[in-house]
Amino acid sequence: MKPLIKIENLAVELQSKVILSQIELSLATGEILGLVGPSGCGKTTLLNTLAGFIEQNAGTIEISSNDKLIKISCEQMLPAEQRNIGMIFQDYALFPHLTVSENICFGLKKIAKVEQEKRCQELLSLLELSEFARRYPHQLSGGQQQRVAIARALAPQPSLLLLDEPFSNIDARLRHELMLEIRQLLKRLGMTAIFVTHNKDEVFTFADKIAVMHQGQVWQVGTPAEVCQQPNSWQVADFLQLGSWLPVAISSVENNPSVVSLIGTLTAKNIINASTCKSEDFIVHYQALVKPNDIELAAQDANNVIVEHISVTEQGYHYLLSSIEQQSPLAFSHVSFYSQELFALGCELAIHLKAEQFLLYPVSATSSSNTDAQ
Amino acid sequence: MLFASINVSNELFSHLWATVLPEYIRNTLVLGILVAVLSLCFGVPAAAIVSQTNIVMAKQLRWLLMLPLAMPAYLVAYLYTDLFDYAGPVQRLLRTWFDWQSPNDYYFFDIRTIGGAAIVIALVLFPYVYMLTRTAFEQQDRNLLRASRLLGCTERQSFYQVALPLARPAIAVSLILVVMETLADFATVQYFAVNTLTTAIYDTWLGYSDFAAANALASVLMLFILFVVVAEQRARAGQRHQSSRPNTQQQRKQLSVAQQIFASIFCWLLVFAGFLLPVILLLVMVFDYADYQQFLALIETGKNSIEIATYSATIAVLIALILALFQRLHQSRTKMIPLQITGFGYAIPGTVLAMAMLATFGPLDHMINDLAKAFDFQAPGLILSGTVFAIVFAFVVRFSAIANGTINAGIGQIPKSLDLAPASLGVSTLPAIFRVHIPLLKSSILVAWLLVFVEAMKELPAVLLLRPFNFETLSTQIYQLISDERLEQGALGAILIVLFGLLPIIFLNRQKGSQ
Repeated sequence: MKPLIKIENLAVELQSKVILSQIELSLATGEILGLVGPSGCGKTTLLNTLAGFIEQNAGTIEISSNDKLIKISCEQMLPAEQRNIGMIFQDYALFPHLTVSENICFGLKKIAKVEQEKRCQELLSLLELSEFARRYPHQLSGGQQQRVAIARALAPQPSLLLLDEPFSNIDARLRHELMLEIRQLLKRLGMTAIFVTHNKDEVFTFADKIAVMHQGQVWQVGTPAEVCQQPNSWQVADFLQLGSWLPVAISSVENNPSVVSLIGTLTAKNIINASTCKSEDFIVHYQALVKPNDIELAAQDANNVIVEHISVTEQGYHYLLSSIEQQSPLAFSHVSFYSQELFALGCELAIHLKAEQFLLYPVSATSSSNTDAQ
Repeated sequence: MLFASINVSNELFSHLWATVLPEYIRNTLVLGILVAVLSLCFGVPAAAIVSQTNIVMAKQLRWLLMLPLAMPAYLVAYLYTDLFDYAGPVQRLLRTWFDWQSPNDYYFFDIRTIGGAAIVIALVLFPYVYMLTRTAFEQQDRNLLRASRLLGCTERQSFYQVALPLARPAIAVSLILVVMETLADFATVQYFAVNTLTTAIYDTWLGYSDFAAANALASVLMLFILFVVVAEQRARAGQRHQSSRPNTQQQRKQLSVAQQIFASIFCWLLVFAGFLLPVILLLVMVFDYADYQQFLALIETGKNSIEIATYSATIAVLIALILALFQRLHQSRTKMIPLQITGFGYAIPGTVLAMAMLATFGPLDHMINDLAKAFDFQAPGLILSGTVFAIVFAFVVRFSAIANGTINAGIGQIPKSLDLAPASLGVSTLPAIFRVHIPLLKSSILVAWLLVFVEAMKELPAVLLLRPFNFETLSTQIYQLISDERLEQGALGAILIVLFGLLPIIFLNRQKGSQ
C-alpha cells in the first residue's frame, strides 16, 4: 500500500541547535501513529514541522492528498495553509470570538454557504455538539471544547490529522473513555493521524503504530506489541518502562557463552537478541531487561535481596528490591517484583530468574545512571 | 453640581440651546470622532508593525512610539502653530523658494482648525491605542494563528480574521480612553479657538460669571462622558480571552524591501511628529531665550508642581493600595463597589471636576467659618476651596483610576495561595501584608506613583480653576505664556514637564526588559 505520508531524512535546526535529525517515518492511510519520548526529545517540533510552522533544514516530506502528491523540501517549502493538514492543539486553540459553529466553519470559506452549513451540521451531530452550536468556547467544558477542536480540524477534510498531547487537559477518569471514542471516530472516517504524547498508556490505547523518539531522532517504529516485545535499545525499553535493569556479565566457556547475574544464570538460548551480544568482548558490561513476572521467590536458596520499598497495587504488593551484596560489579537496586504475600520493609528474600527469554543491552555511560528505573 | 444645574432657569437653557449649545455639541462630537479615527489609524498599524513584523529597529520603536504620551497636547499645538503659521518658518521658507507673494498664491493647510486640533491631540494620544493594541497582539495565543493557517488562511487573512478581531476589545478600550482625554482637553481646543463643551464651561463661568449656565453645560458634557463610560464597561466585558501563552517568539512576518521602507517611514514619522520635532523646537527655544531670570522663576513654579504632584501621587497610591488589598483579602461582590466608584473619577474632565469641587467646598468653607465665628475663633478663611487642598483632592479623584488599575494588575499577579501561606506559618494578616504583598507590589506601586505624578504635572484645567491666587504651577505658567504667545520664556519649564513625563515610560520599558 502506498504510504499517505512519507518523511525522509528530515532535519531541523533552531537557533543553530539540532532539534531533529535523520527522521524517517511513513504511515499508510487510516493508520494512527503515536509519537512518544521524554520531554525535549523533539516530538512537538516534528509535529510543527509537518504542519508547516517550522521550516526544515534537510529532508523531504511527501503527503498524498486527494490523489495528488504534495512534496515538501527545503527548496520547495509549502505554507501551512496549503498542506491540507489538520491539527488539534493541546489547549485546543478555539477562536474565542467565534461560536462553536463559526469555529467549525472557519476552514470552510472556500465552499458554498449551503455546503458549509451541511458539513457543520454533520460534524455537530457526529461529535454530539448540536445543542452547543451557538455557544462560545468559554461556555463549554474541557471535553466539549476538545470535541469542537476535533470537529473544526475535520471540517476541511484534511488528509492528515495532527494531535498535540490531545488528552493532557482531560481528567484521568474521562480520558480513557474519550480516547476510545475518538479512536473509533478516526477509524470510522478512515483518518490518518499522528499524535504526540509523553504518556505511554495513551499510545497503547490510541495508536496503531508507535514511534519512540530520543534526542531528536526516531529510535524505533513499530506496532505497540512489537516495540514492547523487542525494544531495540535500552532507551526505548527505559522510556516505555518495560521492566527493571539487572546488571549481568557474559562469560564464555568453551565457546558457549553464559550470562551471570546475582540472581541467576542464563544461557545463550535464553537471550532473544543474542546476535547483538559479542561474547568475545569481556570488557563491555550488559544489563538484562527484567519484567516483574520474570522473577520468583526461591525459598531454598540463600537470601540475596532486601526489600527497599513497598506499595500496594491491584496486582498485589509491589516491591522494589536491591541486592544484599552491594560491592559486586553486578550489584543492582530497585528491581520490581510483585507478590500477594506481605513482606516487611528491610526483610531479606531469596529470588531467582524464572523466565525463558531475556533481552540484553550493552551498558553505556548514560545507561548505568538509569538502572534504577523500574 | 447636578443640583445646581437644576436651578438653571428654562429660559437660560433655551437661550443656550438657541445660540451656542448646538455648535458646542457638534464641535465636541466632531473632535471626539476625528481624534478617535486618527488615533486608530496611527496606533493600530504601528502596533501591528512593531509586534508582528521584522521591521528594522523594532526594539527601539517599541518604546519610542510611547514617547508622545509625555507631550502635553497644548504644547504641541502651540509649537506646530508656530511652525506652520503664515508667519512661521515653514511657510516663509516655501515663499522664498517658490517666490510666492501673498497667501492667495498658494494653498497651505490651516492648523488652527478643528481638524488641526484633532491631528495634534491624536498625535499625543495615539500611544494609548498603540500600547494596548500591541500588548493584545503580543498576548494572543500563537496556536490560534497557527490553527487559522492550518484551516486555510494566508498570513494576511489570519491577521484580519483572527488577530484583529481578538484585539478588538483592547482597541475599543484604548479608543475610549482617547475620547475621554479628548473631552477633558481644554487648552488645545481653546488655543485653536475651537469651541467645545469644555471650553464653553470655562468661558461661561469665568467670562460671563454664569455659574448656573456653566453647570448646565457641564451636565451635558457629563452625559457624553457617561455614554463613553458605559461603552467602556461593555468593551471590557468582552475582553475575557487573553491566553497564558504569549506569542512573543512567534515567527514575525518578513517584510519586503518596499514594505520595510513604508513601515519604517510610518513609524518614524509618528515618533518624529509626536515627540522628536516638538522636543527639538522646545530645545531651540531654550537655547535662544533661556536666561537666569527664567531659571529662577522655573524653580518656584517647578517646586509648586512637584509638591502638588507628589501629594496627589502619594495619596492616590495609598488609597489604591488599601482598596486593592481590602478587596483581595475580603473577597465579596459588595466590597468591589468602592473600587468601581473611584474608577469613575478618571472619566470626569478636570474642568467639570473643578466646578464640582468648588460647589462642594465653597459652602463647606463658609460653614466652617461660620462655625469658627460662633465659637469666637478667628475665621480660618477658605481652607478647603482656597488652598492647594482642593487641587490635590481633585487630582486624587481624577487619577485614582490609574493608580487602581496599575496596583490591581500587580496584585492579580500574586498567586492566591500567597494570601493563605502566611496564616499557615502563624503570621497574621497585617504583618503578612507588609512582609508579603507590599514587597511583591513594589514595582507596581512605583509605576502607579509615577503615572499619577506625571498626569498631575501635566493636568491643566483643574489647576487653572482651583489654584489659590498667585499660585503658579508649570502647566498653568506654560498655559499663560501660550495664551500670551510667548512660550519662549517658559520653554525650560515645558522641557521639564516632558522630562518628567518620560520617567514612567523609561521605567516601564526597563521593567519589561528585565523580565
